[in-house]
Amino acid sequence: MTDCGCEKAQAELEEFLHNELSAEQCADIREHMANCSDCSAEHLVGVTLSNKVKEACAETAPNELRDLIMSAIDRIDAR
Amino acid sequence: MDQLYGAGMRMTKNPADAADLVQETFVKAFAAFHQFEQGTNLKAWLYRILTNTFINIYRKKQRDPYQGTIDELDDWQMGGAESATSTVTRSAEAEAIDRMPSSAVKDALQSIPEDFRLAVYFADVEGFAYQEIAEIMKTPVGTVMSRLHRGRRLLRELLADYARERGMTATVAAETTKESTP
Repeated sequence: MTDCGCEKAQAELEEFLHNELSAEQCADIREHMANCSDCSAEHLVGVTLSNKVKEACAETAPNELRDLIMSAIDRIDAR
Repeated sequence: MDQLYGAGMRMTKNPADAADLVQETFVKAFAAFHQFEQGTNLKAWLYRILTNTFINIYRKKQRDPYQGTIDELDDWQMGGAESATSTVTRSAEAEAIDRMPSSAVKDALQSIPEDFRLAVYFADVEGFAYQEIAEIMKTPVGTVMSRLHRGRRLLRELLADYARERGMTATVAAETTKESTP
């Protein structure tokens, strides 16, 4: 790996992905990635992973759960 | 509610327990609503109750053999996918992950240690900030970052294994296996 700021970028990539960096740090890492195919490919893997996890975790609660919760709350309320 | 149920599914791994957990969470939240500080994050507050409830009720039942020591695992024990892979294999890896069925991703997520799984879930699915996750999981932000990093890395390795087993990628295979013990 060439030393063109990759080490710093790699270390910050995950925070970048999760919007944890300052505007200035984001600009730095974007600039680095524009010129570094290694880090931009690494970022793509990260983005893809996040999207897939999000997609895989979409759940719909069973209909009857809402009723169960409402009646449980009613019972507390009545006390 | 779907979101809390989704989190409950990641925690308990089954629909009946997830429903119980969400119900318990709503009841507790309702009873304790006077303790909620107006202007703070309601969603994070609900997730904190959910997580506490889960830990109190369910963790006692299903002991994870790694629980408690998981954060202390050294990096070499976790295997190392990132330093070895080249640009070509990274692109192939992204493509393979993208084509992976949701069920495979879900299975992989369910199989990683709980603390890692929840950190990944809170960050990637719920979009909580690291600070919020730290409050929900009651750990320092540094621990959140490490759990997240390790969880994501484990996921990557599991998905690479999955892709390799099904011949989805030829190139990722050779490089990531070195020390990936399950």
